[in-house]
Amino acid sequence: MEIVVGVGDMKVSNDPEIVLATYSLGSCIGLTIFDPLSKVGGILHYMLPESKIDSVKAKKNPYMFGDTGIPLLFKESYKLGANKNRLKVKVVGGAQILDQNGLFNIGKINYLILRKLFWKNNVMIDFEDVGGNVNRTLKLEINSGKTILKVSGVGSSII
Amino acid sequence: MREIEEIIDQIDQLRPFSEVHNKIIEFSNNPNRSVADLVAVIKFDQGITANLLRICNSSYFGLRKKISSVKQAVAYLGIEKVENLVTMGNSADNFRRAQEGYDLREGDLWRYSVSSALIAQDLAEKRHLNNISLIFTSALLKDIGKVILHRYVKDSFEDINSAVQNEGLTFKEAEEKVIGIHHAELGAKVAEKWNFNPIMVGIIRNHHDPDKALHNDLSLPIIYLADSICMMIGIGVGSDGLAYRYYQDIIDRLHFSDIDVQKAMADFSGKLRGVEEMITLSGGS
Repeated sequence: MEIVVGVGDMKVSNDPEIVLATYSLGSCIGLTIFDPLSKVGGILHYMLPESKIDSVKAKKNPYMFGDTGIPLLFKESYKLGANKNRLKVKVVGGAQILDQNGLFNIGKINYLILRKLFWKNNVMIDFEDVGGNVNRTLKLEINSGKTILKVSGVGSSII
Repeated sequence: MREIEEIIDQIDQLRPFSEVHNKIIEFSNNPNRSVADLVAVIKFDQGITANLLRICNSSYFGLRKKISSVKQAVAYLGIEKVENLVTMGNSADNFRRAQEGYDLREGDLWRYSVSSALIAQDLAEKRHLNNISLIFTSALLKDIGKVILHRYVKDSFEDINSAVQNEGLTFKEAEEKVIGIHHAELGAKVAEKWNFNPIMVGIIRNHHDPDKALHNDLSLPIIYLADSICMMIGIGVGSDGLAYRYYQDIIDRLHFSDIDVQKAMADFSGKLRGVEEMITLSGGS
């Protein structure tokens, strides 16, 4: 069964019947983690880098922001038995409009906040496909950890 | 060139705006209009009123009281928003189908159109602009050209995509290079054929080229920013992705900072569930 992870949303599962899917990543980041031993996996689809722009919204929905959503994705997976050292971490999205630079390049800033958090917490990225100006879709099969990236108009690949 | 004529001829296959809707667009430009005028225009069309009330009562607006008349709707939402909702109720038919050439599933283009119109409406209110109906309708219909062009994009996608990836063209520029016409120009031709006013025709034609706006015109820049926000959030975006040009000077002209843009994205994404309900109620998917 497919469970859709919407914009500013997160889902973690250990149910082998479940396929997590998140559609249409523009400047947003789709982050998947999967522990092959405990077969626990999750997807976070965050839209903006930092929660400080709207603390009320961040409290209501921490998955909208990278700095509040990323730690929660990991914490929720640990609750289901995932182990940090075994996690396969994949990052896609963070696209930009052509010539979108500096502070307005939200796709790039979304990616930078993730790198900063991973650096601090010693998390390695196993695969990434970020930037460019394409629209991406991401799926994670919980029974196998198979992760599928679809680039709109180009096609799908296992990552 | 024969093919371009063939493409343009297909405008006739779209469902045109009804007489009632043309009247609403026309009279929304009159600042002295009244609720009675609006009621007089739509009262003979039960379908329009029923559709309008359904959308008004959707969770997007979160009104505590059930709206049961046009007059009541105007009292709660204001005449401009009510006009916009009537326009929306009439437009779903053309937009809701899948647009294969752009890799859009059924409902995606409608979701994109409604979302960018609602964002444009919010941004226009923030800047206290006085032509909100025109902005909403133009934003809603700006991609009507895609409804026709998607078949041709499908046939030529590899060439178009190669021009985007290898020559640094925007998707729109690549459409023009490969097919001979781009979706914004085709959309403007639809708007001309439907006798929309020249300002709307211009906005539809230039919605990816806001640098063509006159210096004191904020309508086109607002619609351009709303479109950019939709692309970044990824609402109903297809194979053209974000392959359009970004004009920082146009955003600066609107006096929106990077934080303002992020806040607008956060605000709108908080309303997405309501938007989905609105899309379903307006017959989109």
